[in-house]
Amino acid sequence: MDRSNDRSSPTPGPSSKTNIRRSTAAQFFNKDEEADKATDLGSTYDTVVTLLNDAAVMSKSAEKIASLRKAQELIIHKSSDLLDNFLDEMLAFQSDQSKDVKRFIIGFMEEACKKDFECLPKVMPSMVMLLGDDDINVQKKVILTVSSMFRLTLAWISKTKQTRTEMKEVWMHLNEVKNLMYDFLESVNDGIRTHAVKFLEGLTLTLSKRTQDSYFYVLLPLVNLPPTLAKSQVSSVRKNLKTQMMGLLKHSASLDFLPQISTLLTDLGASQSEIDEDDDGLTPWVDRTSKKSKPEPAQKQTAIDVTAEDILPRLNPQNVTDLVLLSMVMLPDSMPALFESTYTPVAAAGTQAQISHIARLLATQLTMAGMGKGLGELQMQALKSEAEAEGNKDDEQPASPKQIIQTVVGLKTDEQEQQPPSKKLKMSQLPMPPGVRKIKQFQLSHATKPLKEKEVETMATLALERILKAENLLEFIFSDLRSRQDLVFAWLYQEYANCQGYSTAAPGGRSSLQGAVAGSYSNCLTNVLAQLFEMDDHHADMLFHRVLLEAPLLTDNAIIIVRKYCNVPEHTEAGMKTLSQLINNRPAHRHRFLEIMLEFTAHEKQEIRDLAIKAAKALHMNGKMQEEIEKYANQQLKKLLQPKPPTPLGAKLEDMPEAWTEETIKAHLYLHLGLLPSNHKLIHELANVYTATNADIKRAILRVLESPVKGMGMDSPELLTLVENCPKGSETLVMRVIHILTDKAVPSPQLVERIRDLYHKRVPDVRFLIPVLNGLSKAEVMEALPKLIKLNPMVVKEVFNRLMGSHVHGDSMYQSPLTPVELLVALHNIDPNKCDIKTTIKAANLCFAEKATYTQEVLAIVMQQLMEQDPLPTLLMRTVIQSMSMYPRLTGFVLNILQRLIVKKVWKQKKVWEGFIRCCQRAKPQSFQVLLQLPVSQLKDVFENCPDLKEPLLEHVQTFTENQKAHVNKSVMTFLEELPEKDNEKIDIDSQVEQQEKTPGPEPEVTCLGNSVENNAVSNLTAVKTVDSSFSSNSEKTKSGGMKTSARAGSRDIQDRENSGEKEQGSDRENTYEKERGSKDREESKDRDRMREKGASQERDRGRDRAGSRERDRGKDKDGERDRTREKEVEREAKERVRGRDRDVEKEREREGEAIREREREKTQDRGRDRDIDRERGRDKEVDKERSREKDRTRERSKERDRVRERGRSRDRSKERDRGRERAKSKDREKERGKEKGSSRDVDKEKDRSYDKERDRDEEKKRKDESLRPETMLEKITIKKEVEDTVPKESNAKGEEEKTPKSATAQTSRRPSSSSSKKK
Amino acid sequence: MEAHSFLSKKGFNVQSFGTGNQVKLPGPALDKPNIYDFGTTYDAMYRDLMQKDYELYTQNGILHMLDRNRRIKANPQRFQASMAKFDLIITCEERVYDQVLEDFENREQNNEQAVHIINIDIQDNHEEATIGAFMICELVTMLCISEDLDNEVDEILQRFESKVKRPVLHTVQFY
Repeated sequence: MDRSNDRSSPTPGPSSKTNIRRSTAAQFFNKDEEADKATDLGSTYDTVVTLLNDAAVMSKSAEKIASLRKAQELIIHKSSDLLDNFLDEMLAFQSDQSKDVKRFIIGFMEEACKKDFECLPKVMPSMVMLLGDDDINVQKKVILTVSSMFRLTLAWISKTKQTRTEMKEVWMHLNEVKNLMYDFLESVNDGIRTHAVKFLEGLTLTLSKRTQDSYFYVLLPLVNLPPTLAKSQVSSVRKNLKTQMMGLLKHSASLDFLPQISTLLTDLGASQSEIDEDDDGLTPWVDRTSKKSKPEPAQKQTAIDVTAEDILPRLNPQNVTDLVLLSMVMLPDSMPALFESTYTPVAAAGTQAQISHIARLLATQLTMAGMGKGLGELQMQALKSEAEAEGNKDDEQPASPKQIIQTVVGLKTDEQEQQPPSKKLKMSQLPMPPGVRKIKQFQLSHATKPLKEKEVETMATLALERILKAENLLEFIFSDLRSRQDLVFAWLYQEYANCQGYSTAAPGGRSSLQGAVAGSYSNCLTNVLAQLFEMDDHHADMLFHRVLLEAPLLTDNAIIIVRKYCNVPEHTEAGMKTLSQLINNRPAHRHRFLEIMLEFTAHEKQEIRDLAIKAAKALHMNGKMQEEIEKYANQQLKKLLQPKPPTPLGAKLEDMPEAWTEETIKAHLYLHLGLLPSNHKLIHELANVYTATNADIKRAILRVLESPVKGMGMDSPELLTLVENCPKGSETLVMRVIHILTDKAVPSPQLVERIRDLYHKRVPDVRFLIPVLNGLSKAEVMEALPKLIKLNPMVVKEVFNRLMGSHVHGDSMYQSPLTPVELLVALHNIDPNKCDIKTTIKAANLCFAEKATYTQEVLAIVMQQLMEQDPLPTLLMRTVIQSMSMYPRLTGFVLNILQRLIVKKVWKQKKVWEGFIRCCQRAKPQSFQVLLQLPVSQLKDVFENCPDLKEPLLEHVQTFTENQKAHVNKSVMTFLEELPEKDNEKIDIDSQVEQQEKTPGPEPEVTCLGNSVENNAVSNLTAVKTVDSSFSSNSEKTKSGGMKTSARAGSRDIQDRENSGEKEQGSDRENTYEKERGSKDREESKDRDRMREKGASQERDRGRDRAGSRERDRGKDKDGERDRTREKEVEREAKERVRGRDRDVEKEREREGEAIREREREKTQDRGRDRDIDRERGRDKEVDKERSREKDRTRERSKERDRVRERGRSRDRSKERDRGRERAKSKDREKERGKEKGSSRDVDKEKDRSYDKERDRDEEKKRKDESLRPETMLEKITIKKEVEDTVPKESNAKGEEEKTPKSATAQTSRRPSSSSSKKK
Repeated sequence: MEAHSFLSKKGFNVQSFGTGNQVKLPGPALDKPNIYDFGTTYDAMYRDLMQKDYELYTQNGILHMLDRNRRIKANPQRFQASMAKFDLIITCEERVYDQVLEDFENREQNNEQAVHIINIDIQDNHEEATIGAFMICELVTMLCISEDLDNEVDEILQRFESKVKRPVLHTVQFY
């Protein structure tokens, strides 16, 4: 009958045997062997009969099936000719009770039919019957089988040349089954339904024409699943959809639907890469399809593309936010399971790829909805071509637009009807292009029949009337705002239509009714807005916004409501947004809205104001209404010129502000400032106002200037112009601007240029230069330096920071015009006429404070450079000393410098020379080598200034070997060798005193000197000068006095100075007296010298050594103690100094009194005993008392001393001192020890050691003091004046400092208190 | 395999399959797995790994696993190569679920028999496997009791899902 049958039917003969063998081998029943044998024997028939009989009698279904299976095997596969014989018998089992048997029989039927189509007519009725079976599983089996039956039947029918009645019958049955199957689709049982669907799928596939795109009538919007599904079901279904869709994508015919499918896939959570991957797979046949030239899909593609391209640049944050906010309103109240299960956070949010993806998605949706640029363009093209074609499609085309429009609220139809024909034409372009008919987007309009136009109209009108007649429409709407919001608009438009006389509902003359109706529209709008306003709900906010934007007409009342709305802080943000959109979109009332917005920019409440300013700025930046906004800002700014602030918005009359407050000033400023970054020209207006306002407002302006100026940037031409012009009175403003600009950045060349110009030509205020220091040339900075360091200390510090580059971090481009070395050197070279030394010292101290910058290497270079200069800078030695104390390691270098200074004849410059001596003092013992290089006269000078250097130096020289001594300058050597005798003599004299008082020596003198001179310096400013002059005259005198007396004269000199200081002018009488005394002394010392020459110098040396070591030991013991006490003293002193000068003054007076008394004593005693004068001179009051008690003993001791001198002076001296100490009373112990000559040296050493600490402390103190100084707080302008005031004092103090750096620090630390006392 | 052995013990007629192209077992590093053909017996794998690094594979439990596996069946099977028909297929990873569906897509379908394919995500480690085996057994038992599985499978799955608090995927395919 058919080939397949023929082929498979067993052929008789030998081949059948092999066939049989093979088929049996294929069988999986081993037990069948017997059956096989039986078949072999040709008794297959019998076997089958037996099997069937067995099956019939068997009770267990499993056994039955086993038998039946065997039978099936035999009759179908083995000897199919038997099939016909046994078919009926087999089918008889379908009525078996067991469902398994039934199912087996169904399977058998299928097999049988596959084998022989002729079975179909016999089988089909049974099938139909079985389909009605009670058992679900049987039903399912039937359903599944039927679909293959369908195929078989079709194959059967198609192969016959002639239709037979059996065929018709079979077809009838199949149809019957098919219809039953439709019913099954509604079945309660899921399984049945599933199977029915499966059947229909098979059926569809079987019956469909097999074309390439045959599958693509599938409707795609399945993604919107019913909400009843559970989460897992949703995910399963989506999973399946996704898989299927991917499968579709791979199919060649899917190309045209690629955008839709990919959109759906993205919705389903497939990643873009997955889709793209599949896209790549498409490429092979892309060419094929493109050859087919399907213009429509291609156009469709480009339509989306065009729209996407159009959308892409619009997807800025602003728009996206708006979109999201708007669509929020449409969101359902609860999250659908679908969304919940499939939502995954967008991984690549914000990337370009994602944005373009979104643009594409939107474009797809827009195109689907019949909107978008691309579509419009295409339609234009299509229209053109259509116009040419002018064909049969005419009736088809307009159908779709109307449907779409009609799905919207009925009202729109009315409106559209009344639109001018041109607009109508445009509207009709909106719908889908004619080309895309093929895509059957699921739409209600397709499924429903459009109403006739008239019906629509009447129904819409009726509905509207019904709604309008409802008394509480407003309530109705607001009872469920979310779902009834469209009603609001419908209502509004209807009212509007009424008032304009468009509406059919309001017939009659347009003009006559207009007034009343307009009122009703206004009421309606106002009511809605007011209600929305009152509702405290985000949704209401959104709707408020929408109503305002979309209302056909905004009335005055509405505008008032908007204003009220914005006045509520919670709503301001939304309100401002609405306002900006209104300004953008509703040109008619643009100015009024702008007015409202601007009013709020000066609102007294900051949060409202800020928002309003932000909105205004945004508008301004977008280039809209710039002129108006700026004008308003200017007006606001100018109000600052009024004496009183105007009444703020919404304020009551009684709380009219009396004066400008910070808040009100800011309120008027901010808008202007906000606009600055977008229009730089406004800065000039600000500068003008600034110059004219009072100080408070100026300050406020300066304070808020930072961010706008930063926004403008350094290169703003307008800013540069401002700097260039710098209107009079606006210097502070300009200064502030410059400071802001250069705060974190290196000044631009243009800016530097302008400021330089300004500085040189117009405003020679050096403060202008500070911000741009780094942009200036080295020479310019140097030139400005004297002026700069005169400024407020804080400012100076800032200047230096800038110069050292510490305010710009990580900027490798940065280059300071001055290196740290150059800076410090420049400071030293400042002309004292331009800037007093005091200020320079302060500035230098700032440098030293920057330890990170001024390392010892840097300082070394500085010193190197300084000492190469000629003349030497005044502050050179100060710096040297300071460097040395900061970095003790530099001592070696310093000594080197000192030596070179000797070569340069350092003594020619007095100040430097003094510093030199100080430095030597500090650097001992290493400095001895240097001292020895001095010419004799200078060495003398050193000793005069610094007697405590004398002995150590001598000791030092004495440790020299002969060889070493040879290297020392002869004259120096001789000088030194002569020195000790005088010295010793003096010591002798002192030791006499010692014996009484325990401690003699010049140290107390020095201390006394320091104190008194300092005090004098303060109490009488001219005193120091006098001291200086007397000093110089004395030194001249000393020189003439000869070598031998120089040491003595030195000490005398000191006394002179002291005396003259005390007497404040120095009396001639005193001087002459002193001279007399000096000559006597000289004589005496000559005597002593002679005596000493006779004495055994060796012994003396030994003695001194011993004494020295002992003393040193003693000194060490006391060191710790003294150290501590000294520290405490210093602290206390410092405190006292700060506390007030009163005590100082007292002390001073005391000291003066003391000195006077002493002098008196001297006068009475000096005639009798010259030596006593010497002794008495060093004494204090307490000592005096003691001395008077011990006078007798003293005389004894003097005799004894004569003896002692002959024996060897030094040893005795120490002994005596020991004795003296024993005798000393505890009351005077401390004091005496301090005065003790030997230990005075120790004290000095000690002092030096502790000096560093002390200095540090002092400096710290000083710094603190300075920062606390009231001057710092003063206005910059006043500072200058004050500096002038203090100049004379300072210059005097300066002189003091030059001589004694040690006391200089003390001096400076004392100064604050002095200045404060001055103020008192 | 854990589930296989567990279900076998409970008396279910079970088979287990892999869906990949090869059998991959963890190696000394993440990027160095041990790869075998499906033909390789578990015994051969066991011996191979024992010889490679006894310590490591004892410590990470692979040897133990292979030992268990070789007592269940001779060698791993590949699902795509199997012609057997099942009532229920359970996958333990969404990827595998996809592969199974894909396989069904590619198979010649005769609409003879429906099969439920269910996915429960179970991480690929020993601990999870044990827990997973219990869960699968529970699910299978629930499904097995059902009179009309096709009808009730959805409800059973929902019950199961809410109980184990793991997402479940389910679909019906036809052989």
